[in-house]
Amino acid sequence: MTTFEQQVPLLTDRSVTLEKLWQLAHFQPNDAQREAILHVEGPLYLTAGPGSGKTRVLLWRTVNLIVFHDVAPGEIFLSTFTEKAALQLREGLQSLLGLVTNLNGKPYDLSQMYIGTVHSLCQRLLSDRRRFSAGRQRNRPPTLLDELDQYFHLSKARTWATVTAAAGLGVDPNAAVNAAFGSPSQSKHVAVTHCIAIFNRFSEECLDPAVALERLANDDGQLRAYFQQWKRDPTQVALLLRLYMAYRDSLTTEEGALTDFSLLQQEAYRALMAFPDAGKAFRHVIVDEYQDTNTIQERIFFKLASGTGNLCVVGDDDQALYRFRGATVENFVEFPTRCQAYLSLTPRRISLATTYRSRKHIVDFYTAFMKQTNWAKGDGQPGFYRVMDKDIQPYQCDPLPAVVASTPAEPTAVCAEIATLVRALLDAGKVEDPNQIAFLFPSLKYQGEMTQPVSRMKAALEAVGLKVYAPRAGRFLDVEEACDVFGIFVQIFGCPSRADLPGHDYSAYHDWLARVEANGKQLMQADPRLEQFVKDRRGELVRAAQDYHALMEVAEQHRWDLDAPYQLQVMKRVLHNAPRLSERGKQLLASKFLDQAVERRAAQGQPVTLRYVVRRVTSLDWSLLDLFYQLCGFEHLKQMFDQAETGHDEGPVSNLGLITQYLARFMDQQAPILTAELFVDGLFNRIFFASYLFALYRRGETEIEDAEDPFPKGRIPFLTIHQAKGLEFPVVVLGNPRKDAREPADAEVLVRPFLEREPGEPLERMGELDAMRMFYVALSRARNLLVLAHYQGRGQHMNEPFKALLDANFPRIPALDPATIPPAQLQEAPLPKIYSFTADYLMYQRCPRQYMIFRKYGFAPARSETMFFGSLVHSTLEDLHHELIRRREGRERTTSDRSGYEERG
Amino acid sequence: MAYEEEIEAFIRATFEQNYEQLRLESGQALAPNVKETALNQVLLYWRKLRAIAEAVTDTEVHLSLPGCETPQGREYTIEGVVDILQEEGRTVMYDVKTHDADFVRANPEDYEQQLNVYAHIWQELRQQDLDEMAVIATAFPETLQDALASGDPDMLAYHLERWEPVIPIAFDERRVEETIRAFGAVVDAIEENRFAPRPVADLNVELPGARRERFAARICRNCDARFSCTSFREYAWKPGYRDAGEPALRPYFVDPPPDAEQEHWRAAGLEAAPDTAELRADFGR
Repeated sequence: MTTFEQQVPLLTDRSVTLEKLWQLAHFQPNDAQREAILHVEGPLYLTAGPGSGKTRVLLWRTVNLIVFHDVAPGEIFLSTFTEKAALQLREGLQSLLGLVTNLNGKPYDLSQMYIGTVHSLCQRLLSDRRRFSAGRQRNRPPTLLDELDQYFHLSKARTWATVTAAAGLGVDPNAAVNAAFGSPSQSKHVAVTHCIAIFNRFSEECLDPAVALERLANDDGQLRAYFQQWKRDPTQVALLLRLYMAYRDSLTTEEGALTDFSLLQQEAYRALMAFPDAGKAFRHVIVDEYQDTNTIQERIFFKLASGTGNLCVVGDDDQALYRFRGATVENFVEFPTRCQAYLSLTPRRISLATTYRSRKHIVDFYTAFMKQTNWAKGDGQPGFYRVMDKDIQPYQCDPLPAVVASTPAEPTAVCAEIATLVRALLDAGKVEDPNQIAFLFPSLKYQGEMTQPVSRMKAALEAVGLKVYAPRAGRFLDVEEACDVFGIFVQIFGCPSRADLPGHDYSAYHDWLARVEANGKQLMQADPRLEQFVKDRRGELVRAAQDYHALMEVAEQHRWDLDAPYQLQVMKRVLHNAPRLSERGKQLLASKFLDQAVERRAAQGQPVTLRYVVRRVTSLDWSLLDLFYQLCGFEHLKQMFDQAETGHDEGPVSNLGLITQYLARFMDQQAPILTAELFVDGLFNRIFFASYLFALYRRGETEIEDAEDPFPKGRIPFLTIHQAKGLEFPVVVLGNPRKDAREPADAEVLVRPFLEREPGEPLERMGELDAMRMFYVALSRARNLLVLAHYQGRGQHMNEPFKALLDANFPRIPALDPATIPPAQLQEAPLPKIYSFTADYLMYQRCPRQYMIFRKYGFAPARSETMFFGSLVHSTLEDLHHELIRRREGRERTTSDRSGYEERG
Repeated sequence: MAYEEEIEAFIRATFEQNYEQLRLESGQALAPNVKETALNQVLLYWRKLRAIAEAVTDTEVHLSLPGCETPQGREYTIEGVVDILQEEGRTVMYDVKTHDADFVRANPEDYEQQLNVYAHIWQELRQQDLDEMAVIATAFPETLQDALASGDPDMLAYHLERWEPVIPIAFDERRVEETIRAFGAVVDAIEENRFAPRPVADLNVELPGARRERFAARICRNCDARFSCTSFREYAWKPGYRDAGEPALRPYFVDPPPDAEQEHWRAAGLEAAPDTAELRADFGR
């Protein structure tokens, strides 16, 4: 790599060519990559094998369009699967275009470029007044509910009652809703969870519930026969459609429109259809991970490309994983046909077939794996459910074994053998850190509990002194750090009592509460200061509640209306003298800041109410997040920070960071401040413990997707195969080669007869084909070594392809010479990261620890007024500057128009 | 409507929209008087620095310096954002900060580093002219704050006249190399997980400026993570900090913020809090 100084001569030669840029960026494309990068006009169909450099191709193709084909960044729509991928692409582009700018002096402003997930782009599109709005009005897009918000919205008492009543259900609707999904449960949680899954699918397929209901009503027997075959009752299907309708109505509220992730896309599509030039708003539409798009997304993309035909899709059908989110792999496999249908164009097909990631043996193995099943459509239809001619070839052709299986044995022995191998690889320096060895599983948990293959493997690794990071194994609330923090919370706020209510979840949650309560008690016993701290906080709760009663009594005596204006002159003194009002209460009541606020609001004609004053005077001095950060000062939690400061173990701090995010979410929606009102009748306990935490618990809520560096150092990541999508590791262990094909999901069965498109893979084969693709993803994550757990014995089972491949001649762990494994090193330099002068450099210089906590681990700050203030001032100044520029340009244009007119005149 | 009034109306309306947007996104609010201060910062910026505001030709210009290499050989890109003004052949680079001017004047170090690197990108790599650089510090001094609170237009005009929010930054090419080297070292430290807090000696350093604050008072005091910070604890548990005392005699510290700050926080919390009656309806038994 060249230093900056060495690059100066290259940089100061002002001519720019793509070859020169490649040279500067140390990139040597192969023929297929080059062809793809240089493709400009018309649809492009890029099939990209695992590790075939598709990110770089996307990056350079975009650079080519912008720099050499005069496409403004704002004319590009680039959709990625995750925000993380979007960030990486944006960073890469910024770096490369920065390079170009420094050569040709031409600045490229990426702020106008549409780059992000489909969801974020839809949101942006809906508020983009410059592009998609007549009259440049600033559109107010609907407020987006994320998955957890959506759950809370629908399960809220008021919404659930309204929605079920509108669908024709009575006072106790839960059983009826669950019955429609074939479940005997009485639980609202189960009903809501089922409903959300099917509603989202309906939305993604753009299903119109009114039309579907009409079809059901006018059924000539065909629908009935279909539902009978799949054991569904048409009247219950009708109920679900009515519930869906009512749910959509519930999103229109007094405070404004709400939307969820799935409906957001429909809204964007509608906006596009209503806008006359939508098909020309972008000159290039580029979609990454196209195999995981759904129906509504396909419509959006083709609509956006309808004016230009410039639609480039990149993907790999073999890595399609997201059917359960409504993705339809046919969008990718059938892309040429769809292109004809929508655009009347034939796309150029380019196969990125050279894989730079994996050693030859690994590539041979996963290629052979995919041949173990029959992909032909059959039933007299020509073609396949797969793109058959990809021909993936490894770049590195060393002949040594790179795939090994354990000795076939009962599970404990297999896990021990694998743990020993992992230990040996670490000791031999074949990886630099345990986080370079990934254990992949089809799933990590079942009904919230860690599955057996996972817990067994974890135990085996721990037995040889290795630590595991398994954020999605088991519930997040079960991790040690959550038990610590919430254990102390329970000690302070009190444990909600256990009622005699039915349900497995309910009793499991109360078991959890009892466990964390005991845990909290233990922590207090071990640390007398913590015990004192908890006592003092509890005392403050009691005092606030007493103050509340004291003030309310006075108000009652004087028959003051709580919602009438607070009369400073009259009421302050009387309240101040309230019997049993604490010193703290008196201080807060006498606060000059309160008086000022009262006077200011009175002067503005919006006087504060007596209720406001009571709430303010009886509010605590700390919020939940303040409390959290104070707790971190006690030794037990403090040492977790100490561990992370040296990079020794980042696991605990990552988890603490997630706790702050959950607390922040709760505070934002329910309790930014703790007032005594919340404590007098147990309301706080109901909203926090009985509702919020319970929901997190039973949803098996896990981590929020981390944009960067999700795998803490010092620990071996245990991941679902889905989590490993797009990632690669020097060593991969497939911890469980078993995925049982289940019945097709409710959503698949229920939506199929109403589809307005070709239905795609038959319901009967879905489970099998999806399992093939999932294992393909797992196998193709490995760079240097792929290890397969081969379980044998009673109740043990592997999927068919593994049975056939792991025969007697297959290389086994005992025969593997670890010396033949190349050490882990990056094959390609990672894309250079962008560091901000202020947000990275200056912030780190100010305090490295503060940087780590808030910037790296994303802790939610307790007191963020300063940030809010800064963003508000900055964004308004920016708008002001834009407005002034716009006005000046307007004036200049008018002047020049006039002069032009005069000349002609 | 007169032009000035039009712009002020635009500022008020945009400010309100931005506030609502941020409020929705964050679920948080500002205490009414803090919100007013924010609005006043923008309004006074406009009144005081109208000449600059009107001449800005490019706002939020992204500058990047690709191809940098750390001492450990990592490649990275430096990025920054500035405003650019070009008028009658003169080019000025501005960085708007919500800091107060006194502090910026007293602590020019960070700002000099920053703007000199930006200037380097602008001049050397983009080969564009640059005549001046300055920081605009939008937080106003106490005198101006008092004048605003008094509502007396003469007093406001007087203090507005005396307020000097534009702090010129000197060109110094030598700074650039030095800063980029330091930047690279920081990138390595971040990538290598070196996150120990500043040593306690640093916390005791008094920062230059009118307020004569210590580092701990200005930075640590506003950091939520201070309770678990080894350096801050050592600092805070030394005699002389608030109520002095031996660590053994102190059960723990909660270290309440100053009254004014706490009361603003309380007001903001109530501003953002949902109606309790609604909570009852949603979370009834």
